[in-house]
Amino acid sequence: MFEKSLYDLIRGLRNHKGNEKEYIQNCLRECRSEIRSQDMDLKATALLKLIYLEMVGHDMSWASFHVLEVMSSQKYHQKRVGYLGAVQSFRPDTDVLMMATNLLKKDLAASLPTLIALPIGALPHLVTPSLALSLLGDLLPRLSHSHAAIRKKTVVTLYRLALVYPETLRAAWPKIKERLMDKDEDPSVTAAIVNVVCELGWRRPTDFLPLAPRLFELLVDGGNNWMAIKLIKLFATLTPLEPRLVRKLLPPLTNLIKTTPAMSLLYECINGIIQGGILGDGEDFSAREEVASLCVSKLRGMVSGNSDPNLKYVALLAFNRIVTTHPFLVAQQEDVILECIDSEDITIRIKALDLVQGMVSSENLVSIVSRLMRQLKASSAALSQQQDGLDGQDLETDSSDEAGADARRRAKAPKEQPPLPDDYAVDVMGRILNMCSQNNYANMVDFDWYIDVLTQLIRIAPVSRAQKLDSDPSASVSGQAPDISERVGNEIRNVAVKVKAVRPPAVRAAELIISRINTDTVSSHPVVSGALKPLAWVVGEYVYQLLSADDTLRSMLNLVPRIELPEMLATVLQTIPKLFAHVAGDDQALWTSERKSTMTLLMARVIHTLEPLAQHPYLEVQERAVEFIELLKLTQEAAAGQAPSTDGLHQDPPLLLTQAIPSLFTGWELNSVAPGAQYNVPIPNGLDLDEPIHPNLGSLLGKADDLMLPIQEDDEFGAYYNQKPPVTSISSGPAIERLVDAPEEIASGSYQQPAEESYLDADIIARRKAERMERNRDDPFYILGSSRSEGTSTPIHNILQKENGPDLDIDAIPIMQLDLDKPNPGNNGQQQRSAPKTKTARQRIVIEADETLGSSGSGAATPRNYESENNSDNFAKSKAKKMKQQSLLHVDSSHLMDLSLDPENERPDDGFAHERQQREEAEMAQAMKEVQRLRLEMQRANERIQVAQGVPVEGIVVKKKKKKSPSASAAGKKKEKKVGEGEEGEATVPVKKKKKASAEKAEPVVEGSAGEPVVVTTKKKKKKVVKRVVKLDGDDDEIGGEVPTGGEIAGGGGGGGNSVE
Amino acid sequence: MINAFLVFNGSGQPRLTKFYTQLDTSIQQRLISEIFTLVSNRPPGSCNFLPLPPLLAASGTSSSSSSATEQNDVPSFVTYRNYATLFFIVISTSTESPLALIDLIQVYVEALDRLFENVCELDLIFNFETLHATLGEMIVGGVVIETGLDRIVAGVRAQGTVVKRPVNEGRGGSAMGAMAAGFQGMGGNFVWHGR
Repeated sequence: MFEKSLYDLIRGLRNHKGNEKEYIQNCLRECRSEIRSQDMDLKATALLKLIYLEMVGHDMSWASFHVLEVMSSQKYHQKRVGYLGAVQSFRPDTDVLMMATNLLKKDLAASLPTLIALPIGALPHLVTPSLALSLLGDLLPRLSHSHAAIRKKTVVTLYRLALVYPETLRAAWPKIKERLMDKDEDPSVTAAIVNVVCELGWRRPTDFLPLAPRLFELLVDGGNNWMAIKLIKLFATLTPLEPRLVRKLLPPLTNLIKTTPAMSLLYECINGIIQGGILGDGEDFSAREEVASLCVSKLRGMVSGNSDPNLKYVALLAFNRIVTTHPFLVAQQEDVILECIDSEDITIRIKALDLVQGMVSSENLVSIVSRLMRQLKASSAALSQQQDGLDGQDLETDSSDEAGADARRRAKAPKEQPPLPDDYAVDVMGRILNMCSQNNYANMVDFDWYIDVLTQLIRIAPVSRAQKLDSDPSASVSGQAPDISERVGNEIRNVAVKVKAVRPPAVRAAELIISRINTDTVSSHPVVSGALKPLAWVVGEYVYQLLSADDTLRSMLNLVPRIELPEMLATVLQTIPKLFAHVAGDDQALWTSERKSTMTLLMARVIHTLEPLAQHPYLEVQERAVEFIELLKLTQEAAAGQAPSTDGLHQDPPLLLTQAIPSLFTGWELNSVAPGAQYNVPIPNGLDLDEPIHPNLGSLLGKADDLMLPIQEDDEFGAYYNQKPPVTSISSGPAIERLVDAPEEIASGSYQQPAEESYLDADIIARRKAERMERNRDDPFYILGSSRSEGTSTPIHNILQKENGPDLDIDAIPIMQLDLDKPNPGNNGQQQRSAPKTKTARQRIVIEADETLGSSGSGAATPRNYESENNSDNFAKSKAKKMKQQSLLHVDSSHLMDLSLDPENERPDDGFAHERQQREEAEMAQAMKEVQRLRLEMQRANERIQVAQGVPVEGIVVKKKKKKSPSASAAGKKKEKKVGEGEEGEATVPVKKKKKASAEKAEPVVEGSAGEPVVVTTKKKKKKVVKRVVKLDGDDDEIGGEVPTGGEIAGGGGGGGNSVE
Repeated sequence: MINAFLVFNGSGQPRLTKFYTQLDTSIQQRLISEIFTLVSNRPPGSCNFLPLPPLLAASGTSSSSSSATEQNDVPSFVTYRNYATLFFIVISTSTESPLALIDLIQVYVEALDRLFENVCELDLIFNFETLHATLGEMIVGGVVIETGLDRIVAGVRAQGTVVKRPVNEGRGGSAMGAMAAGFQGMGGNFVWHGR
């Protein structure tokens, strides 16, 4: 037999480049058989190989029992492999763990420090509440082990035990504290304790306040920078509770800041000052002022210029903390922080962005967003370039082929900036949206610019991950956060709804984007841009603003078969009849034969497109499709029946086409509603929602089938919904406001123009220019393009030219001197350029707030709710936050909060689980002793009989005696009194009774059977009685250990079976 | 606390994985590959901190406003260091000092260098048990217990002799030398004087 060692395995792996998968499968097969062998060496080697393969990603959970076997090996080097296997491969659901309890107990009690270290090091990875409960007693004595290494590891392991089983702390904390207070303790143990205290500190700071003097002492003359860092972090959580600490801490911290050569310590000092709220204002103002300026100047030094990138990063972290409490201190550093946005290091950029998000104002919004847009644009350009290059190659990301892929990547790596990762791009886009829409667009000055930015964003938005992965419609992304292009689309929709003044450009932008989606993408591919959904709604709702409803309808019809997401499809379906109603519903135009045939064709086309959707698996889609198909079929009939008007005969178009269908979609204008406003709708008096609508509803419904209701069109109800309210025009303010606004446009335009060009696509810029020209043509104060000579084109000139036509002789008209004291039309542009922007300028644009009712509940009319993120987005965010609490690698410590460490709160009779456990153990030992005693008695009786009968004594009973652990019985004796006195926890009472009962039950049997020749069978019975007690105790594996013949699987094959059964 | 300590090479092959919470093997691998993509795209001269990989970020990296207590419990730093062909990664919560973590990785590498005398990637490949042992002397259950080089090395040696890579492993010998030199060069280069 020839076995591979780990070395052979690895060398084999290196020699089988290319077909590693096959090789690994072979190895796994070998390991499977090897690990079952009886030879411990072979077993351990196989396990080691499995651990190696696990690291590369090959599951070994199936081998958990074999891991236990190797753990119980007598040889240290094998045991070590076993423990490593347990650490690396055991998962929360590994069920063999409960069998390891006794093994762990035994190894914890070993004499060799290296051996003790194995279970101590492994426990943090394995521990469960029940395991913690049963091992606590064995672990605690290790706190006073003679080896410092064992002591410090034990401290940490106890901390991890406490996380899953908080009661640990009650028993362990006094001892740990004792270690911490001991000035002669090994400094590395003290450091480890400080680390643990720091971890515990933020969870329950009040418990550690009494330690402050000792901790302070350690900070001042500890001389260990690692420990000092932790201490400062700990103090930062303590100072908010004990303000007097601040005065004490300030001198040493300032001293450290000024003197320490270690950057990490310096930074943590500053960080501690910030986090501990020491910067906060209070008494002793001058000293704090000094500290604050010291910190901020140090941080500024870290951020600015060519300093070390790591320092830049941590300084930004610190600024991020300061900004919540002292925004003005951070605002002073705006210049250096903005520089970091353009850093080529993404980590730094993100942190800078976090900061910047809190710093936006109407003054800097445009410049910040422009910076970000430039980055995104450059990245998407680089990406498309790269994709062109990679198009031929297939992108396989097989782990075994990683090397090759990497080599390719390296070879490809261009000199210019690499494209940004999608996640980052999405993140930045989300931030742009947040910044712009903050506080219901409080910072937004120029909505036209915003719409252009949004249009550009949709073009460069990466395809969301979810849609890339599962392109089958069944696995829809309904539950997930909307992808970024949908968010951008939502923004366009929000602007269109909320800002009436810019509704026309917003709708036109939506129209353009839709036509672009239609033309740009390959017609066979499914539509992936999530933006289509909100944009479809916009073009449907504001159909009268469209440039060409006809074309848009055509685009939409083209897109429908390519849409896969059912939600999107449902929205788009609703849009089509809206568009159709607008296109077809003109009741002024004559019903000519030409119109008739166009309409018939159009309706046929729509029906043809919708028809397949009548069988759509998503009910919403199906329902809407069926409704519209039927409606259109009806209209088709009506249209067919209506003869076209001829020269002589005037024919009206069918009413269904011009009246009925359009009336479905015209009515009140929709406003944005605050999230939660629905809950504030009061229930009308006398409305009982639980009451059945009609006592005899069933029969009514049955009758309804053969009842035809007459169609009423012009009732009150219809009027209510279909009559438009008087339009409240917002955009038409006093003329003077316009005067102020328009030049502002010029001013911003002139200095943004070059920047804009770099991040907006050429066509957007061109359109933007054209639109501006168009808009300003009627504006008397706007000086048109530079092609005209400045001298002649006064505003008056413009007006005159407009009024009188271009062919008038302008020079013949005398120039009138206008005496306007406010904005002088002639040099207005320049004036605005130099003067600071007036805040009043943007008040012209009215942004509607979300509608809500009342002021209570979640829909309260506070600015927070005005954040124009739509409902679903906020919801997704909060959901994500919730998820985060349960995130990967997260260590749940919530139980720890409930525990009180205060010794005064302890009631003496309050049985704590640990002590209860000890008591139970003692009780068990007591019961065992009782049984043992009885057995002995019995044995003696038996001996007497046997002696009398001349039969030799059998050894079985003696063997039983050995199994009983001496420590348990000793503990039992000690605790006996305590058990009698202390009040039992509720749980223990029945257990005790059972045990007593069993013991009592055993007694009469013994006595009854004494002297009989069938002694051996009685013994067996008794053994069973004991065992049953064990079983009744349920999952308490501790007791399992006391079963005769032992629960240890250490023995390997034979003994193991007994405890497992 | 420290949530995970990872070592992988320049092509993303793991050399050491240690997670201080129990995690499925497949998720471990996904996390490693996500971090690898992040780490391998770093431009030269960037800082030693990575943005959170998507798997850890959950709601993107934009959760700057979550409360302090919440942050303390959740992995928030991914610190890495590159030595020759290897990347050393530490995932940690905000209770750790980011700059000190950079030092911690340095200590770990120096300890390995002492144990193996002129360490190179091959040593780590063939002695991954020693890698675990060394880490076990520095971090237990996600808490740093030792940062002193001598004690760490002594602790590992107490567990048994550390063997150098098998001498007859001849292939790629020249590359090895270069790697080792890389290690050496980096070994002396202290950026942070945390200790």
